[in-house]
Amino acid sequence: MNIVLAGVGGNGVVLTTRIIAEAALKEGTDVRVGEVHGLAQRGGTVVSHLRIGPDAKGVLVPQRKGDMLLAFEPLEALRQLKLLKKGAKVILNNEPFIGVDSHLGLSKYPDVCQIVERIQATQDLVDVDATHLAIQAGSVIMTNVVMLGTLSASNELPISRDSLLAAIKARVPQTMVEANFKAFELGEKAFRDWQAARVCEPHPDLSN
Amino acid sequence: MKGKGPLLGTAGEKVLMSGNEAVARGCLEAGVSVVTAYPGTPATNVVEALGEVAPDLGFWAEFSVNEAVAIEVAAGAAFSGVRAMMATKMLGVNLIADALTVVTVTGVRAGLVIVTADDPQQFSSQNAEDTRFYGMLAKAPVLEPADGQEAKDMAKYAFELSEQLELPVFLRITPRICHSSFPVELGELTKPKRDGKFVKDKKRFVMISTYSRPRQKLLREKMEKAKLINDQNRWNRIVDFQNGKQFPKGAVFNTFGIIASGLTYPYVEEVVEVLGLSARVLKLATTFPMPENLIGSFIRELDQVMIVEEGDNVTEMQVRALAQHRRLTARIIGKDDNILPWSGELNPDIVGDALGKVFGKKFREELTEPYVEAEKLIQPRIPALCAGCPHRASYFAIKEAIRKKGKGGSVMGDRGCYNQGAYEPLEGMDTCICMGASIAMASGVFHSGSSEPSLAVIGDGTFYHAGIPSLLNAVHNRSNITVLIFDNSITAMTGHQVNPGSGQNLMGRPAPFTNLKKVVEALGVEHVRVINSFDTKALVAAVMEEVDYDGPSVLISRSPCALVVERNLRKRKLKMPVAVVDVDKCTGCKVCMKKIGCPAFGWSQDPKPHMEVLSHCNGCGLCMQTCPFNAISIPGKKEGVLGMTIRKEVPK
Repeated sequence: MNIVLAGVGGNGVVLTTRIIAEAALKEGTDVRVGEVHGLAQRGGTVVSHLRIGPDAKGVLVPQRKGDMLLAFEPLEALRQLKLLKKGAKVILNNEPFIGVDSHLGLSKYPDVCQIVERIQATQDLVDVDATHLAIQAGSVIMTNVVMLGTLSASNELPISRDSLLAAIKARVPQTMVEANFKAFELGEKAFRDWQAARVCEPHPDLSN
Repeated sequence: MKGKGPLLGTAGEKVLMSGNEAVARGCLEAGVSVVTAYPGTPATNVVEALGEVAPDLGFWAEFSVNEAVAIEVAAGAAFSGVRAMMATKMLGVNLIADALTVVTVTGVRAGLVIVTADDPQQFSSQNAEDTRFYGMLAKAPVLEPADGQEAKDMAKYAFELSEQLELPVFLRITPRICHSSFPVELGELTKPKRDGKFVKDKKRFVMISTYSRPRQKLLREKMEKAKLINDQNRWNRIVDFQNGKQFPKGAVFNTFGIIASGLTYPYVEEVVEVLGLSARVLKLATTFPMPENLIGSFIRELDQVMIVEEGDNVTEMQVRALAQHRRLTARIIGKDDNILPWSGELNPDIVGDALGKVFGKKFREELTEPYVEAEKLIQPRIPALCAGCPHRASYFAIKEAIRKKGKGGSVMGDRGCYNQGAYEPLEGMDTCICMGASIAMASGVFHSGSSEPSLAVIGDGTFYHAGIPSLLNAVHNRSNITVLIFDNSITAMTGHQVNPGSGQNLMGRPAPFTNLKKVVEALGVEHVRVINSFDTKALVAAVMEEVDYDGPSVLISRSPCALVVERNLRKRKLKMPVAVVDVDKCTGCKVCMKKIGCPAFGWSQDPKPHMEVLSHCNGCGLCMQTCPFNAISIPGKKEGVLGMTIRKEVPK
């Protein structure tokens, strides 16, 4: 299985990938993780390729061989679309990160509705309000754990819920375990409550 | 992750490790006694990881001031009979070459391993050089692992090979090894030796020409020996594929062959399996010197051989030469035929394109129309300095000073975090060539007869690394230049590694704080000032004065890295100061954004278009200085309080 994780620096893409990979390894499954985290501490593109089971060969997912995308940001989801098989599931945190380059007109952040439409043209999209659910659980830092909950509930992953929770527990400070589990559950609930017919509300043009 | 990391796992355990961690573990299993490095992406955390465990395991780990020093420290240890490792990114190999090309002549008394991280895709590098040429130049063997397990095992083996040949050995890795993670089965740790002793032998270690000349013959003999050892290398493996199914060598007949070096092997394997190809594949781990008997016999039985390698055509050239030498008629294809690209990293799709061309098949799934449409919406993200970065303030001040002076001027840049200031809107530096180039190049601009002010910017880490000789040169040769040292007292770009200005060493022990101002004065610079980076008024005035001074002058613009400030605030459970915008006063003119381009700026249309400050603002206050309408403030701080005073509240 080929999973792509995408976001911007600060989203926790690298950590999330590690959590899934460690859970997979604990279950005795072969894994490979390829990461690109460029220069920017914050706001730069970050992507990781997670290959589980018989696909765990080289560290890179070939074009359109991806079975799933966990995207922490809409534009970054779009950037990795070419790695996905047609119909592959995309779990998207629909909170855009619009950089100052867009505000300055050096680049133009696309309309989020348009991004969602383009993704839906080829993929099975589930969008989640992960940022706000994380805040509800206690802190925006746990956005990635909300996403992990949604991913787990989607049943696409060949890794058990318990293994994921154990891997999260091993990675976070003791005092934060409970809050992280709550974030995970909110993510699961978001998947169950998600309705395919959800209509994208047009956003104001934030980039200008 | 201290204490949680897999570096000290027990033998037999299978753990998830990055390639860098795997290399570090391999060194521990080899019982390494001395490790050195200068931080450089993507190799930085090989030695950083070792630094964390060095005090407990009882070996020496250091960040040296530059790569040339790092290799010399490591070689000195290897001369003294203990195993040593030096890690560097590819550009650092240019600096170690001076020592390396002589250390191969002397040879070593214990294993000396050089971990070199090449960056063919240039994720974080000024060029894409192939360091295997340095192996050829200096006559040092080069090993290339295909994954994390091999990275660990070959790191350990590299010491054995080094001792067998009494030569330094390169372990060449790339970001796809360094930053990727793999399951790695751990071996036993070996206790490091701490009883080194340098035994004198002037004919071996004093490489004046009389003593060096006779040793050249020895080097040739070692290379011949290395080829034979490499013929038997356990990671050089031949497998046969028939219709994509793997067989042991010779079980099926093949006329087409592939030589896949290092980490390209898994790409080749995947493509061959998916496309159901029939081919004999040599997985090559020893890329220099070539295992000539192994490769010769491999080619002899084939009609056509494709060479797959990342970087330049190093293996391809050697295989062609070998084929000519041994009168082998197989057609050899690769980069020379443009079947594989000359630049950039490889991936399964690129390897698939090349093999697909030969076999008339297609590996790459084409992007159909809806994917192409989606691609059209994609926008790049332009990198920026972090929110609250003091370099932003320094660039802002330099730009203001040059503008006010009205004489033009060039700013020769250097290598560090501050490179992000080259992007819009700051566009604060005009060159980025190599470590330490800024000061000397500014001298060159001045000596060219330019009438414009000649400035240089360099970080503190880079200054200690390679700026000191350039500044001394500017003093000696009377360059009229103005040098700004951006001093955050840490090597920030690679993730906050210590340097001589940090007051502690890699192993967490106290080290003397180098007094940067005194160093500059001692070099003979008469005009030296230390100014807080956020005191932009003082900085602007100082730059304007110093460009008029006839001689080299230095302005040390000092303030801690914003990320360090944030971390310290968090540790002390203090709240981060955050700027707020008075929506009534903000006219939406975007002057702040256009002047400093801080990533903590947001934008809102509600209730009217205005600037917003995002949650990752850390209250440096620079934007307050740019607003023509005084619409930005930091609550709880007095009106007009600047970042410099806020920063002063945060201890180093």
